[in-house]
Amino acid sequence: MAEEQKKEERKRRRHATEAAGKIGPMVKATIGGTVKAREEGKSIAYAFIVCSYDEIIRAMDIVPVWTENYAGICGAKRDATRFLERAESLNFSRSLCTYALCGLGFDQWREELGEMPPDAPWGGQAKPDFMLSSGQILCDPRNKWYQAVQQYMPDVPIYNVGLPWPLYEDDIDVADVEDYYIKYIVEELRGLIKFLERQTGRKMDWDRLSELVDLGERTWNLIWETYELRRAVPTPMGTGDAMNTMVPMVFMLGTQEGYDFFLELNKELKDKIARKEGVVKDEKYRLLWGGGLPSWFALTDFNYFNSKGAVFPVETTYRMIEPIYRLNIPDTNDPIERLAWRWIRYWTYWYDKARKRPGSEPDVERLIQYIEDYQIDGIVMHEAFSCRTWHLGLIWQLNQLKKIYKPIPVLRLGSNRQKKGEKRELPSLILESDIVDISSYSEVDTRNRIDAFIETLEQTKKNNR
Amino acid sequence: MNEKDSDILSKVENYYQDYGLRARELKDQGQKVIAYLCSLVPVEIISAAGFLPFRIRGDVHEPITKGDTQLETIACPFMRSCFDVSLKRRYDFCEGLVLPHACDSITRTYSVWRYSLDLPYSHFINLPHTVRGPSMDFFKAELETFRKSLGRFAGKEISDGDLAESIDLHNENRNKARALYELRKSDPPLVSGTEIATILTVGMRLPVKEANNLFDEVLEKLKQRKEAPFKKAPRILIDGACVDNIDFFKLIEDSGANVVADSLCIGTRDYWPKTEVGGNPVDTLAHRYLDKINCPRTYREKVGETYQEDLESRFGDVGSLIKEFNVDGVILYLYKYCDPFGFEVPARKAYLDSLKMPVLYLEDEYSTGTIGRLRTRIQAFLEMIGS
Ligand code: SF4
Ligand code: SF4
Repeated sequence: MAEEQKKEERKRRRHATEAAGKIGPMVKATIGGTVKAREEGKSIAYAFIVCSYDEIIRAMDIVPVWTENYAGICGAKRDATRFLERAESLNFSRSLCTYALCGLGFDQWREELGEMPPDAPWGGQAKPDFMLSSGQILCDPRNKWYQAVQQYMPDVPIYNVGLPWPLYEDDIDVADVEDYYIKYIVEELRGLIKFLERQTGRKMDWDRLSELVDLGERTWNLIWETYELRRAVPTPMGTGDAMNTMVPMVFMLGTQEGYDFFLELNKELKDKIARKEGVVKDEKYRLLWGGGLPSWFALTDFNYFNSKGAVFPVETTYRMIEPIYRLNIPDTNDPIERLAWRWIRYWTYWYDKARKRPGSEPDVERLIQYIEDYQIDGIVMHEAFSCRTWHLGLIWQLNQLKKIYKPIPVLRLGSNRQKKGEKRELPSLILESDIVDISSYSEVDTRNRIDAFIETLEQTKKNNR
Repeated sequence: MNEKDSDILSKVENYYQDYGLRARELKDQGQKVIAYLCSLVPVEIISAAGFLPFRIRGDVHEPITKGDTQLETIACPFMRSCFDVSLKRRYDFCEGLVLPHACDSITRTYSVWRYSLDLPYSHFINLPHTVRGPSMDFFKAELETFRKSLGRFAGKEISDGDLAESIDLHNENRNKARALYELRKSDPPLVSGTEIATILTVGMRLPVKEANNLFDEVLEKLKQRKEAPFKKAPRILIDGACVDNIDFFKLIEDSGANVVADSLCIGTRDYWPKTEVGGNPVDTLAHRYLDKINCPRTYREKVGETYQEDLESRFGDVGSLIKEFNVDGVILYLYKYCDPFGFEVPARKAYLDSLKMPVLYLEDEYSTGTIGRLRTRIQAFLEMIGS
């Protein structure tokens, strides 16, 4: 790894909130903890975030190794290239998800050596006892990555949980199909529990699971309320920080620690709002991070936006929650059924709204809602080349938004002193790079594009005045 | 096509060159056409509803332009090309679109397809990822949803009887395709890989009865070939996904080999498995599309004690083809950004290595320009096999 890159990595990103600043050490401790857990003989599972099994593995005291997280860490430390190259030398195409490639390269190396690869970031990724894949409606790597790893550790079994949800269709209501979706997911999650019981030799404690599902639901509500505080002007927290606070959201769901984190963040944001303390002193532009995972090696780009007076009060990325009380989950005491309903209702949350606006679509509807709720002046997205899951359809969403949502109407005084409705333009920017693969990134180009975008925002503001 | 085999073969060639020709004619006669992508859409249901299932094809000769204004370029280039030519209204005789939950490139662009083409009908079929009991039950329910939805569009209920009849016709079609493959077994083969690819591609956009007649005529014609019009040469199997053009076959055959078999989507992956007859038609269709079609997007649980056993269970069908067609070497041909296949290249290679099969792995874009650039590597590979 080039020396400059190492120096670069040492430059810590500034956080707006204290809470976000605590995340780095927390993640480091968790990763160190998994390596230790392995030594202590605890059951370790490779796992993916957002697979509806968080509370289940927590209730069974299984230690999750979030493989996407570790790859992200390697990316953020600018030390992923050697693992990516290794995966490539094993014949994995460099066009595949770079979380997966980084993980595959790392795992193959660890298995070949019988120990952690040299200078493994934060002590390395522990070998699991089993792996939990998931077949959803997005993300082929969730379905294929662990099967590919099995080539290097064939003795580690896999359970692949089916977690589909219905896509948005004109002629089919979710209500028409949700019964068989729920039935399927419930069976799949029960199958997972049987698998885990077999693997660990322990029985599921169903009361504990219920408690944790409760806790998970309370956490969802708390996160939603906390994130909604960011509507304030000036906004007390931006997307840069949210790329840290996603850790307790998606890696610690179903733990008290995760819940407590958001209690603290909630309080901190309220205090900031009371003091009118924003991410930047002079908030000029409020932007929506409208899609795409971030470049983990270039999070300082968020600070760059800030330096121009631009803030991100809201993002669609890693906002993997909706308020539970709005999901209308049917009454049930069965924690598995609750998980299944939460899953389906989360993914179909925006469908009804979309149906009311001709030509709309759930993802677009969500953008519209955030534009209105958070008083947005422009949209920024990131197209990470290696992940089709989150990065296909972004251009189209923007096109569709322009088509169906006539830019925000504002009232202003016309020359004849009459109030008249006007359409305000909504500039957008799509950045292009990757989540982990730094070779796809140019700081100069990125910042030039940001500069040009800021100019457009300024111009638009003038026009709108 | 060989010059001597005029008439029927030139008709096939014609259909191949002007891909929408027959569908357009039929549309003018009142036939409704439903477009689809991928081998995972149960065409039997579309035919049973009285529609013509029309498999969308890309075009390696046509640069992707319009499509790129609406869709990111980080997707599988085959799908992008299909989208591009569809957007350019090449298939504007279609009234509906059905996409399956195949891979991220297809699934994540369903909305874009749906809105951009703005067709009267569209539907997405959600295949689960595993073949366990609950997955099978789920998939049956999902197929029932499709049957109802398409029935509403057709203005008729699709009965079990309609389905059974359609299943028979499509099975027949698969038998005939298999009979065509028989002609490849001799050395040198009686029919080239390029010819077979042309015929199969054409077959996927004709009404099934017509395709059956066409295959019959082609078979009859080809069987008249007493002597192989090709030289003895290394016998190649192409392994991969959605190859729907003859250019790659041509390149290999022009480089001095005979393509005698394949495990491709427009090939044995789709044509080999048949739907069981008798029993509940939706059940048997579910079984064919989820379990029998061996596509890497469907996860197969690890079987056996050793990794080798797992490889056998996942790729054994390729091994059988290698034996049956007496294959000398395999070209594993994939498109960039193809996630389901991309993740199993090392495993596929490991399996082929265990059979001591020479393998050439090529990753490509979807255009004649890039295909041409593979020539040197293919020639080197063939030389290696030949020596
Ligand atoms: S969502 Fe994208 S980045 Fe995450 S594992 Fe899937 S393909 Fe990779
Ligand atoms: S080639 Fe691969 S990525 Fe492309 S459509 Fe086929 S399965 Fe999907």
